[in-house]
Amino acid sequence: MNKIFYPKLALTNLKKNADTYVPYILTCIGSIIAFYTMISFYGNKGLDEMPGSINLKTILFLGTIVIGIFSTIFLFYTNSFLIKRRKKELGLYSILGMEKKHIARVLFYETVVVTIVSLTLGLLGGILIGKLLYLLLLKLLHFTTPIQFYIDGRGLLITAGIFLAIFFLTLLTNFLQVKMANPINLLKGGEQGEKEPKSSWIVTLFGIISLGIGYGIALTVKSPIEAILLFFVAVIFVIIGTYALFTSGSIALLKVLKKNKSFYYQSRNFISVSGMIYRMKQNAVGLANICILSTMVLVTISTTVSLYVGQENMMRDQYHFDMLFVGENTGNDEALVDESIQKTAEQTGVNPIDQINLRLGNLTAFLEGDHFMPDLVAKEDKDTNYYTTKTDVWLIPLEDYNKMSDTATALNENEVMIFSVGDNYNQKTMTFGDRSFSVKENLQTFPLNNKKTELVGKTCYIIVKDEGVIADIQNNLYPDNTSKSLLFGKFFNLEGNDETKLAFSENVFQQVEGINPDIDKASYYVSLTEWYSIFGGFLFLGVFLGTLFMMATVLIIYFKQISEGYEDRDRFEIMQKVGMDKAEVKKTIGKQILMVFFLPLAGATIHVAFAFRVMAKMLAAFRLTDTGLILICTIVVTLIYALIYALVYWWTAKAYYKLVK
Amino acid sequence: MSLLEVKSLQKIYTTRFGGNQVQALSNVSFSVENGEYLAIMGESGSGKTTLLNILASLDKPTGGEVFLDGNNIVKIKDSEISAFRRDNLGFVFQDFNLLDTFSIQDNIFLPLVLSQKPYEEMNKRLKPLSKKLGIDEILAKYPYEISGGQKQRTAVARALITNPKLILADEPTGALDSKAAMNLLKIFSEINEAGQTILMVTHSIAAASHAKRVLFIKDGEIYNQIYRGSMNNDEMYQKISMTLTVLATGGVKGE
Ligand SMILES: Nc1ncnc2c1ncn2[C@@H]1O[C@H](COP(=O)(O)OP(=O)(O)O)[C@@H](O)[C@H]1O
Ligand SMILES: [Mg+2]
Repeated sequence: MNKIFYPKLALTNLKKNADTYVPYILTCIGSIIAFYTMISFYGNKGLDEMPGSINLKTILFLGTIVIGIFSTIFLFYTNSFLIKRRKKELGLYSILGMEKKHIARVLFYETVVVTIVSLTLGLLGGILIGKLLYLLLLKLLHFTTPIQFYIDGRGLLITAGIFLAIFFLTLLTNFLQVKMANPINLLKGGEQGEKEPKSSWIVTLFGIISLGIGYGIALTVKSPIEAILLFFVAVIFVIIGTYALFTSGSIALLKVLKKNKSFYYQSRNFISVSGMIYRMKQNAVGLANICILSTMVLVTISTTVSLYVGQENMMRDQYHFDMLFVGENTGNDEALVDESIQKTAEQTGVNPIDQINLRLGNLTAFLEGDHFMPDLVAKEDKDTNYYTTKTDVWLIPLEDYNKMSDTATALNENEVMIFSVGDNYNQKTMTFGDRSFSVKENLQTFPLNNKKTELVGKTCYIIVKDEGVIADIQNNLYPDNTSKSLLFGKFFNLEGNDETKLAFSENVFQQVEGINPDIDKASYYVSLTEWYSIFGGFLFLGVFLGTLFMMATVLIIYFKQISEGYEDRDRFEIMQKVGMDKAEVKKTIGKQILMVFFLPLAGATIHVAFAFRVMAKMLAAFRLTDTGLILICTIVVTLIYALIYALVYWWTAKAYYKLVK
Repeated sequence: MSLLEVKSLQKIYTTRFGGNQVQALSNVSFSVENGEYLAIMGESGSGKTTLLNILASLDKPTGGEVFLDGNNIVKIKDSEISAFRRDNLGFVFQDFNLLDTFSIQDNIFLPLVLSQKPYEEMNKRLKPLSKKLGIDEILAKYPYEISGGQKQRTAVARALITNPKLILADEPTGALDSKAAMNLLKIFSEINEAGQTILMVTHSIAAASHAKRVLFIKDGEIYNQIYRGSMNNDEMYQKISMTLTVLATGGVKGE
């Protein structure tokens, strides 16, 4: 046979199977674009210049890996779907006298065409769309410095390499399929459908228990740390439960319905129940995939959107003042800091306002009953348990407290007042070593901080009679500690426009670093830009992955509709011949299709509802505690998703009805 | 009055974009009495399926009339046609037309469920019928688990369970091996003996030789007919072959 024959046949085949191959090639192109975009961002030097770039790069790196794994799995899935649909055609070739090696040659040329088209368009698209997405990323990061966008040669090579490998592997699996099958099997391949899941009560029960455990974990999670640790455990249980219930549970339930003779043998139920059993057998795995993917889309986008929308508020909760400095007053440090603040203020036109200056004593301790126990944990033993149980204690002389809160309270040697962040300190007394105090007042407001719960560990401010008492407490708790001088603290807000406030903060930070690097400093505006890069990165990745998962969902739905369409075409005809009228047939089948496709969405919505608590707790670890905001974001995201899902359904249903007509 | 009366039936297919017209039936008239077993023979493309589809009210003729028990089925409203078909006609098709979503039992029940018969009644009808057709052992299986002959007997059971006035069969042995075909034809003869009227369309001489009367159709018209009279199956077979030879060697329309 002449050389051009196989490539030509390959092209004809692709054209003939356009309604499945075009979506497949689009998937390939989409995956390549996604992968290249991520990897080129990861390699982008310009992003290194922005604050918090290490975090952002880590996020992008994770994104690259996730996309790589996901693309591989998904391309294999679609490929196996395609080859199954085409087994009949391949069987026909072999009956017409083509040897297996000839069929393999046709498959090879087909893969070559798919590879060339996908890689060319994918990489070109990656360069173009990557540029657009890059601008979007910068916008999300609130990063205004213009950075030259460049084409990442290394990224192109890696992308091409990885996808060539994927295509090669799909080709190998196709070869294997052809090699293993005899023509009769090939001829029947298209009709076999997906592997039939057995419906056993054991699997169903297992699924219910698994889902129950997953939901149970999600509902009982207490702390943010627990949420992060247990989230993946819960996810795995829920995934197992979803697969078990979709494959086995659905069929078991339908079979119960079928057993009930007076219900089953009603003309409406008769057709729907048996139709649904059949469809679920064929589609359960695919539908479970859609359900899991949808849940992932919803959780990812909801959390990242919540973080992004809530970030300014959550930063505000954490930063009661725009700026603060706390340091030991060695040498002349406090005066130098004051001087630098004043000078910079004059230069930038930003005014420090609401300023509070005070003296503080600081120590960490463990609170047991009313006893503050010394913190003797060695540095290398400081684990999460340490950080969640320790208490940060700030000791403040009465004089300074009265000044900053404009009060005239009096305390004697053995009296204290306490402001505890989060829960109230509910003892009447407190003891440091040998020294005991009675609690005169439990303050509910405090100029330096708000009452909102700390996420990790506890913080309290204790007001005592004078500096002598502070020294006494420190001596009692840590007799060996030599430096017991009081710290100075400076808290103030800034007045001016946002950009100069940031410039002011960075400027002063730099100078203070020069005065004494041990001085603690914090600025709302500096942190905000850092967090923008993290949350912006998260949001970008969330939306990006979300879109990718969504694309996968759309594609699975489309393929499912097509395969359902092919099968229903015959059923449609038979039912009419046996005496159902056309409108009726159309109605019942339409209803089944609707049910099959909206089941995953319903499942995903339920999953998200149960996951909500964990999501909120996890976000709390990022100091986003505004549950109302998270709820609104989640609901809005879910609604938008449902709308898109419905549109996709409507569009693919047209393909379905075109087939059955 | 005859059970079925077909009067100058005509069917012209017009392709979708106007263009070509195909005259599938030009002028077909015949009648079927109660209890008859009629075979209609003709070459491929002679219009047999077209005729049957019209009798089955699956398709409308371009001209002519069809009376079943005095009702003109051409004039039945679309909304009543399915119910009419369910209650009066039974079908056996070449490719069985079983639904793979249903077990064998449920496939047979399908027309009864559609007519909203209670389960007990359906079951009562199924028992003797499935026994007679030799499918009582496979009722719980699914179509893809049984042989072609079993599938066709299932289809016959589905056609018979409504106690139809008329069974219409289109090439019922077409997809069967010769043993299964013989088995099916025997069943047809038996149910006909029991009083069931059957109209079968076929191009198989073996199949037609079981009928009591054979009509020949060519180029959309009835060409000839043979009555069995006292002939046995073999003699009938001979006669049909001869007629077909005459037909094929282009004998002008034989009067
Ligand atoms: N739906 C249709 N549209 C156009 N022509 C048709 C259609 N169905 C059948 N025909 C034509 O009508 C003629 C008779 O077909 P048919 O009744 O199927 O013959 P038979 O069943 O005897 O083989 C044939 O020439 C066929 O091509
Ligand atoms: Mg025919």
